[in-house]
This record gives sequence, C-alpha cells and structure tokens, in this order.
Amino acid sequence: MKFNISGLNFKTMMALVMFSVIWFANAAMAATHDIHLSANTLPNGQYAFKMEKHTSSDGATPLYPAEATIPGPTVFVKKGDVLKVSLTNNIQVAGDKQLKVGLTPGSTEVASGDTRTYTYTADNVGTFAYGDEASHLLGLFGALIVDNADDTVQDFIDEIGNRIATKRSDVDKEFVMFMVGSTFWGSETVNGVQKPLWTNPTLGAVQDDIVRFHILSVGPGHTWHLHAHRWPDNNNSDAIIDVKLLKDTLDSHSFTIKAGAGVGTGHWQYHCHLVSHMEAGMAGKFHVVAKGESGNSLAGASPSGKIFLNPTADEPGLVTFEISDEPGQWFRSVRSDILSPITKTRSLEIIPPGSSVHFIMSDTNAVHTITSLLWPSDANEPSLGDHRAIPFTQTKAYKGGGILQLDVPGLYVFTCKIHPYMFGAVIVDDPATEGLDLGETIDIVTGINGLPTSSDLATRLLRTFFVATTQENWQDVTSSKPWHPEYPSVDVRITGGAVANLKTVLESRYGQDIKLASLFNPATPGVGEVWINTQFEKTAGKTKPGTITVLDASTWKIKRKIALPQINMNHPHNMWSNKDQSIIFQTQWFDNKLTFINREDGKLINNIQIGNTPSHVVTLPTNDDLTVAINGENGVRIIPAGTMTPEPMIMTQFPGQTSAAPHGHWVTPDGKLIVTPNVNTSDIGIYDVTTRSIVARTTSGGIFPEAPHPLAVGLGVDKIYTTNLLDHSINVSDFEGKMLKTINLIADYDPVSPTGPDTAKDRDGDGLVTLGVLPIQTPVDPTGRVVVTANTGGTITIIDTKLDKVVAMLPCDPGCHGANFGAKLGGGYYAYVTSKFSNQLIVVDVDLDNPANSSIAGRISLVANNSVPSDDKVTKLAGTGGQGIYAIPNVYNGWVQNLPDSWKANLTAAQLNPVP
Amino acid sequence: MNRNFRAEFSASADSVLCTRRRTQSIRYYSEWITITGILVVVSFFFCAGNVAAQNNHRIEMYAKKLLPEYEYLAYGILRHEVTDKNGLTTDITSRYSAAPIIPGPTIVMDEGDVAEITLYSEVPIPDNAAHVDLHENVSLHVHGVHYDIVSDGTLKYINLFQDEGAKLVQSYTYRWNAAYGTAGTWAYHDHNMHTHNGAEDKGLYGTLIVNPASRTVPINQGGNIVNVPLSSIAKDYILYVIDDAFVGTEIDNQTGQQTPIWVNPALFAQAGTNVRFHLIAMGTNFHQFKLPGYSWPDPVTRTIIEEKAIGPLEKHVFAITTGANSSYMDTSFEGRAQNMVGSFNVNP
Repeated sequence: MKFNISGLNFKTMMALVMFSVIWFANAAMAATHDIHLSANTLPNGQYAFKMEKHTSSDGATPLYPAEATIPGPTVFVKKGDVLKVSLTNNIQVAGDKQLKVGLTPGSTEVASGDTRTYTYTADNVGTFAYGDEASHLLGLFGALIVDNADDTVQDFIDEIGNRIATKRSDVDKEFVMFMVGSTFWGSETVNGVQKPLWTNPTLGAVQDDIVRFHILSVGPGHTWHLHAHRWPDNNNSDAIIDVKLLKDTLDSHSFTIKAGAGVGTGHWQYHCHLVSHMEAGMAGKFHVVAKGESGNSLAGASPSGKIFLNPTADEPGLVTFEISDEPGQWFRSVRSDILSPITKTRSLEIIPPGSSVHFIMSDTNAVHTITSLLWPSDANEPSLGDHRAIPFTQTKAYKGGGILQLDVPGLYVFTCKIHPYMFGAVIVDDPATEGLDLGETIDIVTGINGLPTSSDLATRLLRTFFVATTQENWQDVTSSKPWHPEYPSVDVRITGGAVANLKTVLESRYGQDIKLASLFNPATPGVGEVWINTQFEKTAGKTKPGTITVLDASTWKIKRKIALPQINMNHPHNMWSNKDQSIIFQTQWFDNKLTFINREDGKLINNIQIGNTPSHVVTLPTNDDLTVAINGENGVRIIPAGTMTPEPMIMTQFPGQTSAAPHGHWVTPDGKLIVTPNVNTSDIGIYDVTTRSIVARTTSGGIFPEAPHPLAVGLGVDKIYTTNLLDHSINVSDFEGKMLKTINLIADYDPVSPTGPDTAKDRDGDGLVTLGVLPIQTPVDPTGRVVVTANTGGTITIIDTKLDKVVAMLPCDPGCHGANFGAKLGGGYYAYVTSKFSNQLIVVDVDLDNPANSSIAGRISLVANNSVPSDDKVTKLAGTGGQGIYAIPNVYNGWVQNLPDSWKANLTAAQLNPVP
Repeated sequence: MNRNFRAEFSASADSVLCTRRRTQSIRYYSEWITITGILVVVSFFFCAGNVAAQNNHRIEMYAKKLLPEYEYLAYGILRHEVTDKNGLTTDITSRYSAAPIIPGPTIVMDEGDVAEITLYSEVPIPDNAAHVDLHENVSLHVHGVHYDIVSDGTLKYINLFQDEGAKLVQSYTYRWNAAYGTAGTWAYHDHNMHTHNGAEDKGLYGTLIVNPASRTVPINQGGNIVNVPLSSIAKDYILYVIDDAFVGTEIDNQTGQQTPIWVNPALFAQAGTNVRFHLIAMGTNFHQFKLPGYSWPDPVTRTIIEEKAIGPLEKHVFAITTGANSSYMDTSFEGRAQNMVGSFNVNP
C-alpha cells in the first residue's frame, strides 16, 4: 500500500528549505498546487482516483471528470512547482479487511475513511505515474506530467522530415494511455477539459492536429506502437522511432506527433507489439479525420458501464477478473465480495451482451494464458477480431492480462492452458429473456460443437467449475459432516428455452450431502517416506499457498510439514530426489523457482530461478543430472548433478516454433531419452539427452478433433503412456514416436444426453463400466506391468499393459491428480494417489499378477495435528490440494539400482531388479 | 518458387504497374484480370507526383510456407526493379535469395525513394475445412515510412476500409514513401493472417532500410562518435531477435548480395572493416543485447554503449570497426536459458 511518484522527491521541510535556497530564482516563479484526490471503488469492483479539488497559485487548472476514473486525473505541473496533495481513502472492503492506500513509501498509508496530506516538489521534468503500489494494477494509477518551466514539450516531425520544436500551447490534445496487463486505459485533455476514455478507446484527432501522447506502464512491460506515425525518442536524441519499450514495473514515454503527417486520414491502429499482448486484445484505433470533421474520441468499455447489478448505466460495461495464485480463486472477480453470495463462487461474472470481460494477472507469480474452454456455439467467430474473437486464446504463456467483448448471450468459461484447473466463467445474459442465459448449445475447445446445455457433460462441467473454484466446496475428510458443495440457486435458461433452477439441477443429477469414505491405514506398511505436495494448504507465515506433507510409510503417520515461509514457497507441484535420497528437488508451479530441500530435516538448502512455471523434475538415472520441465516456456532445463546452476534448456521445438510447454515428463531408465507431454502443441516429444535434439514429436489425442492437452507421461518397459486431459484418453506409443494405440477412457460415457441411468454403461462391450474423465498423472509401475491413472473427474483407472486396456476403476476424490509408485514392505508396490479438492491420500494396492484385482488399501488424512514438526502454522485448507507425490526410496527401474545400500536394505530382490 | 506461377504473375503485373492515373479523391484503383483461370486483383496507386523521388522501386513479393512440413511462413522476392530519377532502370532481383527466407528480404531504399510492392500469397488454405479462416489473408505492414491508409496492411476491422492483404487468388499492392525524415531501419511484417495479430510470429517479417540522405553512419572511434561514409560499411547483418533465437541475413555491400544465415548464425568479417548490425526484436520477450569487447554509439542517448535492451519491434542499429573475435548474445534470463548466442569471427 505504498505510493510512488517516481521522479518526485518527498520533501521534508529541511529539503524544501534547501531547494528554495538553491533554486531561488526558479522557485520564485513556481506555482503551488493544492490537490485533493480520493481513492474510490467503481461499480465493477476496480479502484480509481478522483480529483476532488485542484487549485493552483498560477490560476489555471483543468476541468476534471466529476467521477472516479481509470487512469486517475492527469495532473499537469511545471518544474519547480510545489504540490500539496491530500488523499482520502473511500475504499471499503468486506469483512475485517482494509485496503490501505498511500501516496509515499513507508508509514504513510491512508486507512479507509481517512485523509492524509503530502508535499512534493516537482524537481524533474517528465511523465510520472502516481498510484498505490499494492493495488495499482486494479486501477489506482494516474499520470503526473511535469513540464519545463518554459513550456517546451517534445519535438515532432512534420511531413517533410523537419523536426519542429513545440510548446505546450501548440498542442491541440493530449492523450494519457496506461498500458496495464494487456489493456490500454486512456484519458484525454483537450482545451483544459479532461475526459476518461477507459479501455482501448478510439482516439480522435483532426488531420494536422498537434497531438501529445503520454504512454505509461505499471506492471509487466510492453512495447507501444502507433501505425503510420513516427517521432523522436526524445528531444536530445537522434533516434526516430515508431515503437518504444516500456520496461517492467514502472515506465513512461511521452512524444508529440502531427496527426496524419505524410500519411493522411484513417483509422490507424495503436497496439502493444508483444505478440502475446496483441493476442490478448491490447489494441485500439487512432482515428485521424479530415479538417472540418470533429475528431472526437470514443471511450471504450467502462468499469462504470452496464453490468449485472449496475444495469442502468448507458455505456458498455467491463467486469474484471484478477488472475490469482489463491487456490480456487484463480480467476477472481474483483467484486466477488458482492457477487459470491449469489453465485456461490468468486469466479463467475454476469454481463449484458456488448459489455466486456477484462483479465489482469495482478496476484500471480506465474505466466498464464487466458483461453476459452467453452462458449456458446453461435458465438464461435474466430475472425471477428479486435478483442472480440471467440474462442479467445494466446499462443504461449505470458505475463499481462486480456480484454474481450462478448456479444452473444450464453456461458463462456475461460481457463489457462498451462494450469488447466484455473477457471473463470462469464454468463452473458440477455435481460429480455427469463433466467440467466446459458445458451442453446456450447462448443468446447476440443472440437465438440453444438453440445446441448442440458447434456450431462455440460452440467458435469458446470459442477466441476463450482467445485474447483470454491474453497468451501472442497472435501474435508476429517469432518464428520457429509460433503455439501454449494451451487447458486438461480434460474438458468438452457436448451430449448427451458428455464431451470441451477442448484436443483446439479443436486438432482449429482447428489448432495454425500457421505465421505472412512479413513483407514493399509494393513501392510510401505517402505520409507511418501512426500506429498499439499499444494493449496495455507500457512501463517506466507502469502502463497502450499506445503509438502511428509508421510512415514512404515507407520502411515505424518512426519513433517514443510511450508518454507522464508521463500514464500508458491504452489509446490512436483518433486524428485538425488540418488542418495538426501536432497528433494521441488518445483513451484505458479512461480519460476526450483527449491532444494534437505530430506532428513526438511530445511531449505537453496531456491533458484529456473524458468517460468516449472512443473516436473526428474533426474537422469545414469549421472543424477536434474531435468526440469519449464511448463510456461519451451524446454527442459538441465542442472548438472551436485550443482545448483542450470545449463541452457533442451529446447522442445525448433527455433521460432510454437512453445511446446512441456508438463509432466519422464526419463528412460538408461538416461538417454526425455519424454515430454507437450501441452501447448498437443504432442508427445522425445528428446535425446546426449545430442540435446528432437527424436520425435508425435501428435497426441485422437478421441476429439482438437486440443487433447497431453499432461503427463508414464514409461513402461518399451512403451510410453500419455494422458490427454481434455481428450479423456491415453496414447500408447513407442520410443521412436510411433503411435500404437489410443485408449478411450470415456468409451462407456454418453456426454450428450441429459444425465440418467444410461449416462455411464458398458458401451465398449468389455463387461466393465469405467470412466476416466480428465486424466492427469499416469505412472507405470517399476516392473512395467500396470498403469495407474488419476482422473480429475474423481476416479482411478487401472490399465493392464499386456492388454493396453482399462481393467479396473477405483473411486477417487474431486480433482484426483497425482499418482506415483513406492515400495510395499516385503515386495510389490503401492500406488499413492492425491486429489486437489480433498485432503486425503489414497493408497492403491497394485496387483501385478492380476491388475484387475488392484484395490484401495488405505485412505490417509493429510491434515497434521499440532505435534507434527513444521516450519509454519497451518491456517486454512489443511492438507488440501494434493498434487505431486514422490516416494522415498525411488524404486523405479534405472533408479532403484543406484540407491545407497542403506535404502536397498529394505527392498526385496525383485524390487531391486524390477525388469529382469 | 514455381516458375510458371511466377511468370504468370510477372506478366500480369508488368502490364499494369505504374499506370499513371489520378482521381480526385480516391487514390485507389483496382481491376480484375483473369489469367489461366486465376483471378487476380492488382491494386495500385497513381505514380504521378513522384518528381521529388530519388528512385522508384517496383517490387513483387510473395508469402509461402518455408518448408511444406513445418508451420513456418516466409516472404520471398519475385522481382525488384529500381528506376532512378534519370529514368534508368536496374533489375536487382538477383541480389535476393531465390527461395523464401526468414527473415524476409531486406529492401534497401534511399531517403526520398518510393516503392510499389505487389504481394502474392501462396500460403495454402488448411486441408481441414474446420481450420479455414475468414481471413486467409497475408499482408505487408511496414514501420517507419509514409503510406496511405490503403497501404497499412491491416484488416478491415482495424482500418474500417478493407482487408489490405493478398489471398491465394488475389494480390495486393502497397505503396511506401520513404519520405525525408524516415531514414532508419524498419520492420515490415504480416498483420492479417487469420486475425489482426497476423503471422509475424510464424516467420512473416523482414526489413526495410532507408539510407539517410546524409549517407553517413555514426561509429565509435576511440571513444568519440564519428560519422563515417555509408559506403565504408562492408557488411550489414540483419539480426531479428525472436523469443528463442537470433535469425539473420547478411548483406555484402560490395555486391549487394543477400544471404540468409538463419538461426544464431556465426558471423564472419574482415579485420579493420566497418560492419553494421540491425537488430529488430520480434515476439513477446524482452532482450539484453551484448557483443563483449565492442561498444558503439546509441542513437537514443547519443552516448557510447556496450549493451542494449530491446523489446518487440524496436530496432537498434549500430556500426563497429572490427577488431577481436567475440560473440553476440542475449544476456536476459530467457536469452541465457535458451542459449541465444552466436559467434562473431574476425579474420585477420
């Protein structure tokens, strides 16, 4: 909650005295400004500054908007002026939380309802952002423009190449354009009148107008580009440019142009020139009209415009999702305090047709995409363009945000291609129809078109959405109460114009107050320890979620919780160890770090930057080098054994090709090949470790036409098993990349009909009814006999690798996610299975002789009591968010042979040589 | 390049190029020509009013897949003729690679020149009908120089006029005016493929160099910024800094010959000669460029620098006098992680 005006110094009285002594001559001419700003909440939940009053000793001040605006009021002063700024904080937030807004570093925050006054001197010429440091990405920013005392502003270049010195009095209009996330926020000052232009406006000018632009950025950087115009980088520069880099965090660039000089009238595009930001909608128009025409600007979608609960506004509205690392609230409406009592989630927004949805990655350390998962069939217009194209997506993960106008009524769900359980939904509701419009049919990113909104798949996805996005809807196995997910009790309009109560539909189809299975320990102990990424567990000492829960497999008791508050460990996702089993390597999936942890005492060894959104880590069994899949980028990073210095990546694609975004990779027992599920390019990549080259990339999926979303691989003796999350399938391929078979995990499922007794039945005629909806981790046991797949739809499927078909299905929890094998005492293996939206570990006793006989051997709570050693105090979501899992000792073929003797002692001869 | 295809289009364009035509308000003209079953629209501007022009360039380009089995797209040159102010025409087509290349052909103009560029599309329409887009359209959007709204190379939903690009059956002609005040190195790129984002990230980008009327280049000589004659630049290296690599073209200024040098190329130069780097970033990442052991004038600050931050579609052009061997590199975190480095070899 700190305030910065870069380039301005907060002056003590002493400093003011010195200033006036040194610059007495100037100071004598300097004006004093009395400025009263307020910080306010807009109807869509964003924050904004408003000018309450501005008087100046030199008389003229602009006519400011009567409302709070984004960007905030533009304050024009001259070098040497003194600014007395009062700030009133009118922002109230729900509950006992309080948003403190400040204007200077340190202790000068302004609590809700309070006012504070600051004094600055404008001792540097330039364009500066003012704002609240903690919440500026949500709207608390504005521009302070300090001009030369003699009114000189930036030169422009005329149509014959002359560089024209310019005074501010020569300027016809000034635009302030903030580049924030992937959205422009604009305002203009014309003849002393300031107007908000909101998001991605059409900026108007008359041919030959002298127009001054002030481009500012807060947050991740941008490059500004304006078509067909060019300008000097600055008045002391030889560089003539038409693109300008605005660096990360805080930057500005001001320039002057003569509108249409040498190029004439037209709609000239301005945009950020980062491809990802262009794809996210970061563009608008500079409309140069002929002399005699008006040249007025057109404002874009506004936070004060027409949205649910603010229906009477005139202009198109804007709702905003904050992209967050907070579990469940990955797409959090900034007005969710108001909406969630109705919507029962913080991730659902409602707007009328023609308003826009806006995304800002303001509460996350990761890179993401904002990608349409499903949308109304009649909205499918990929060519509509100019932030209106459906489906909406970006080629690769990035930092920023997005903006999208939605014109067609119905349900839109967005996800992140990298973190595919992040969900945000928008209902575009035609106010003229009864019930909230879910639309007749939806299209799904996988190429399923025209799916009725009354179908089982549609309502199953809706139910998944309400469970995944709402912490209160997650299962707590330590509670004596039945599981009671809350759904919104609202009327919705579905296929055929039918109107139904959503809560009634979901409860009648999928039950309510469901009794959870009892906890019990496996009868036979495991060997060693089981390390579990309880990725959503929140602790007192850090803002980011996630712990490691260490289970003693010989007693099934929790041995330790590791939160690492000193590094604010963020979403620990997957682990591996060195061959001595002494160091745990931990990825932080919503961050860019790889963490080294001492296995014996759980203490931090090191925390290094490895690349954006690292997902899985596996060692090479031959030399113990680390391989880390950089899920937010395009390769697998190598760290030589015994070091903590990464080498360059093995690239998962050729230069210039679409980033593959590898997720849950694996390594062959001979250490020669890395196999990656390439999430973003829908293929299975095989890479040669020695030559660092691509061996093969095989298209994955096969059940649906598009976007299979391969997430994880497991390696058998001579086969690769790859799960396709959205294709609900497992590809079986060989080590040369040849596809052998595709196992359809939903062969017994009817997605299209309304839910009924025949929704799941034996359709493939194998005598079994099995469902593997949204399969994730899929390890093959060390002998290569059995594949255990965690399906996020809440089942575990067992594949017999002799048949390559599903031979058994076991129940799992919502968000069933991680699976890995560990040794069972006396021989054989357990598969350990975790679930995101519950807090238990399921232990599967794998029958290697008859895989169909595999069974659940135990259910173990991941909630620790106070006696468990821990480096932080659990505050929320205890034991929840189970994802990556790793058993010590590592008993996979290739690794087990390299264990220290002490770890080998507890293993049987067969376990020590799993593939004879 | 399919020779027949090329011959047909060359013939059609010859017959209409630079037809002098003036209308009162609309400086735009199109007509339909049917040649062996292919419907072609050639649009062009009047060529009058060019009396101030130094040189008049007539260029035909195409866009196609670089290799049939990959997603890369690339621009190629069919023809480039230059008519000087005395009416003398030179065909410089042979300076270019016959095949499409990434980065695309480097077009060199002088401050004051004009160019008329007809673009043909050979980008195949996807086999899968579900993937055929409304905008199977490819364009040239150029930075820096002057052009009317019809030569913006954007889609109708951006310029609110028309889709300004080529389709398989329809070429598009752009007119660029390298007016005084536009000297510098500028990118051109597609802005139209499928959406207004275009296919610049698939390889559809190239370079326009507008030589300054002064015909000088600043260089660091012993810590001083000195202007040397443009003619002293032995080689130009065009280095696009894409998200995961440098991609280059080399121009031998003795012959004007352009050679694609592709990904993270090894650069070679003779000791004691002047060479010029043209860096243009493309994609989403920011970069930090270094050439250890060398320093050069920065036009932005008029100081001598030894590294430069550059973001997508920014350009940074500098000349050096070659001395020791070095490597050029991107020292940003992403640049190091992706080993974005190439050798700079100076032959004694």
